[in-house]
Amino acid sequence: MRRGPLTRVMGEHPVGTAFVTPYVVFLAAVFAYPLGFAVYMSFHDYFFAAPGAVVDRPFVGFENYVTVLTDPAVQRSFVNVVIFLVINVPLTVVLSLGLANALNAAIRWRTFFRVSYYVPYVTASVAVVGVWLFLFNSNGLVNSILGPLAPDPSWLVNSKLAMPTIAIYVTWKQLGFFILLYLAALQNVSKDLYEAAEMDGAGRWKSFLNVTVPGVRPATTLVVLVATVTGANLFTEPYLLTGGGGPDGASASPVLIMYQRGIEQGHPDVGAAIGVLLVIGVLLVALIERRFVGREED
Amino acid sequence: MKVKFVALLLGAFVFLFPFYYMLIGSLQAEPDPSVSGAFPKPGNLTLHNYTEINKSIHLGRSLINSGIFTGGVILGTLVFGVLAGYALARLQFRGRGLVFNLMLLIQVVPFQLLTIPLYVLIVRSYGLADSYSGMILPFLINSTAVFVFRQYFLQLPAELFDAARIDGASELSILWRIAVPLVRPALLTGVLLTFIGPWNEFLWPFLITKQQDLQPLAVSLSNYLTTVSARAANPFGAVLAGACVLAAPAVTLFIIFQRRFISTNLSSGVKG
Amino acid sequence: MKLQAGLLAVVLAGSLVACGDSGGGSGDADAAAKARGPITIWYSNNAEEVAWGKQMVAAWNAQHADQKITAQEIPTGKSSEEVIGAAITAGNAPCLIFNTSPASVSQFQKQGGLVPLDSFPDGKSYIEDRSGDVAQQYKSTDGKYYQLPWKSNPVMIFYNKKAFAKAGITTPALSTYDDFLATSRKVVAAKAAKVAIYPAPSNEFYQSWFDFYPLYAAETGGKQLIENGKSTFASDEGKKVAQFWRTMYQDKLASPEKYTGDAFVDGTSAMAVVGPWAIATYKGKVDWGVVPVPTSSGKPASEIHTFSDAKNVAMYSACKNRGTAWDVLKFATSKDQDGKFLAATGQMPLRKDVATTYADYFAKNPDYKVFADQASRTVEVPNVANSITIWQTFRDAYSKSVIFGQQDVGQALDEAAQKVDQLVKQS
Repeated sequence: MRRGPLTRVMGEHPVGTAFVTPYVVFLAAVFAYPLGFAVYMSFHDYFFAAPGAVVDRPFVGFENYVTVLTDPAVQRSFVNVVIFLVINVPLTVVLSLGLANALNAAIRWRTFFRVSYYVPYVTASVAVVGVWLFLFNSNGLVNSILGPLAPDPSWLVNSKLAMPTIAIYVTWKQLGFFILLYLAALQNVSKDLYEAAEMDGAGRWKSFLNVTVPGVRPATTLVVLVATVTGANLFTEPYLLTGGGGPDGASASPVLIMYQRGIEQGHPDVGAAIGVLLVIGVLLVALIERRFVGREED
Repeated sequence: MKVKFVALLLGAFVFLFPFYYMLIGSLQAEPDPSVSGAFPKPGNLTLHNYTEINKSIHLGRSLINSGIFTGGVILGTLVFGVLAGYALARLQFRGRGLVFNLMLLIQVVPFQLLTIPLYVLIVRSYGLADSYSGMILPFLINSTAVFVFRQYFLQLPAELFDAARIDGASELSILWRIAVPLVRPALLTGVLLTFIGPWNEFLWPFLITKQQDLQPLAVSLSNYLTTVSARAANPFGAVLAGACVLAAPAVTLFIIFQRRFISTNLSSGVKG
Repeated sequence: MKLQAGLLAVVLAGSLVACGDSGGGSGDADAAAKARGPITIWYSNNAEEVAWGKQMVAAWNAQHADQKITAQEIPTGKSSEEVIGAAITAGNAPCLIFNTSPASVSQFQKQGGLVPLDSFPDGKSYIEDRSGDVAQQYKSTDGKYYQLPWKSNPVMIFYNKKAFAKAGITTPALSTYDDFLATSRKVVAAKAAKVAIYPAPSNEFYQSWFDFYPLYAAETGGKQLIENGKSTFASDEGKKVAQFWRTMYQDKLASPEKYTGDAFVDGTSAMAVVGPWAIATYKGKVDWGVVPVPTSSGKPASEIHTFSDAKNVAMYSACKNRGTAWDVLKFATSKDQDGKFLAATGQMPLRKDVATTYADYFAKNPDYKVFADQASRTVEVPNVANSITIWQTFRDAYSKSVIFGQQDVGQALDEAAQKVDQLVKQS
């Protein structure tokens, strides 16, 4: 991009175009084609074939979408992911802000606390799932501590509790990252505001509500959006924790079903339709969340 | 203050216990599923589970591969991601909205949807099978990190930039001299966030490399977990030992760098 | 606007490149069938099979300096279909995969990823001479062989002698459902093990091969899940088998929870449904005995059919030097190499008369003899289109009714049968 005559056309800082070019090229080279391809697949009777194989892949309009929308397993998975989000997102916001606020204060053993909250985030799910399975099975440690209060059937094989258990697992697993986001944001809340609040006689709780919460608003938007998006793409946890979405599909997520249909069973067209619907759904939810949680300052 | 401390302590226990349990389990010669199994018993401790892993995996080679894979991704994200994040936050240019929306869209798309088309593209069109570049390419710039960078650049006061621009500084030097030093904790957040993905990623590097001497640790370990561990003297212990080996480098790196993540006296420069 | 246009151009360029080189390769199959030169093969990463594979490759390479084999390991189970499917699409699959699941063959075939072995002059005769009648089960719907039936792991019931002794059982009665249930109750009541048997209760499509299917094969005298384009499992026999497992789960003789590790090895369960490959893993850990799977009427062992759990060898269409690949395939499944495979892994080569061909081996390893006998009466998964979808449909219904008891077993099978019949009709 050359400066000069283009400046007026290209906006106030044309150099911005140069700054984003590598990123845009990356997105185009790596994502745009597969994504466009997925949309294309979802409107055709499509399957993957070897190079050179002669196959017929007629355009079928919305047929794959009809298949998907009338499939009870898919419907169930979308309900499941909503259950997941309703538990996971608020819990994540409240816990990570609370913990970040506590960790931001001068407190004994701060380093130890920070490290301990981040450890699950740093570790692969493949690695920790084994321990969770052990803790939450019917004879596991959690149930032996609960004694008679333990649910029957146990957590992960209980069709009402499987999804909430996964939601809590994921909250636990991801919390460290969100705490990190809030901690970074807390550094930018001006100390003067706290001093002013103290002058007005506000207690610790009051100043948390009136200074901290509005002060980290952009971070909250970020946390809500990121938590929603990662939650909607839930895959590894039901795949590993409940052996493919059990019991009876109660913990199947849309991405899991997409994986089963698209890759395992060789119907990438149907899988792609699930994916496209999911993407649209998440975009809608994200838009609504941005409305409610707060507009950004630009 | 006391209450806060106790609550944090309790929370830390909840967060650390599974890892403690992982470690204990990996050191047991015989699996002990009872409550007392959560405490180390001298007679039941062994390093055997670890020596078995060491026997069947080239740990050194796998670690180097993981390092190259992860390092490449972090470098790509830091160089190109920061540029993009800064431009999206602080520069007015044609197409900004489009790029921003594209970035959001990419994050919403589940990777499983793209796996096979992406594989075909990278292997057939770009010819990058069995190479580090093929492994790194789809992760090269982490979009979530770009988003995080943008968010933090947005929080810096506008006057700072206006002043620098009036002084005639170029955007690149504003970014390098002013913006980057101020958001250093955010950059480290981005690095951590970027680190996790490739470090723990199993399927992609496996698809792209069939040669064992190119495979990163996560791939060799899950290979080990699915097959070899069933034959081990203590399969449960073998699985947990594998988990510890995978987690250890990540946790160690994190502990080393954690001091730099958040230094509380940063805000002084930002106050305006 | 410029940017948008530029972006579009890049996207289009990408897609053109991706489609561009899809010509070629398909060339004339005859020339490819005779072509010779270096080839690549994949085998499973199971330790014993790797040892055999290395030996086989070394033996071949020593004699064929100009047609060397390069071998790589791929994981068994879950992700192997995905890996092979992606490689077919990208055109970089190897020549031979010594770990092709019969359930995936119809899908790979539809993708145009497999070479029909009939395209070699001696292809059909070699397969049928080696495997005998069993070969018929591996024919595809177009009458061709897209896989060479390689080796099976006939599934039987293993029991832990120590656990049974603790429950006061020395010669276990396990041939009828009533016997099996009574024995299971005794074992659990005596606290000799937490559960009697522990088939994986998770929802992966292939798990039914290790609970429902072997018993179904036995009960029906060797029927496949689908025959003549129709599902067979919603029959009385199928419902009896499902009801038997329902009782096992209902009475907590089996567990609906996913287990980490091997429940049979660590003593959590007193029995296991598995094939002879597992014997190597039990060595020095479990003192085991083995019996055929049960039937409602207690058929004699010599009439019991079971699931084969076979893995086969297929040739992939990306292969250029198919002449060499075919020679390697014959070399690797020769009487000599099959014998080495049997000795290394304890799995049964899918050739007729295993028991007599390798009489020496079975004399020295009597543990395996019963499997050689069982190997002559095995049932494979049906080789039909939509195979994996069908098994997933079945598994979903089974999981809901049998494992979790949320629906009547008979009704669940009827509903699943309707859906499966639909799936069979689509191609």
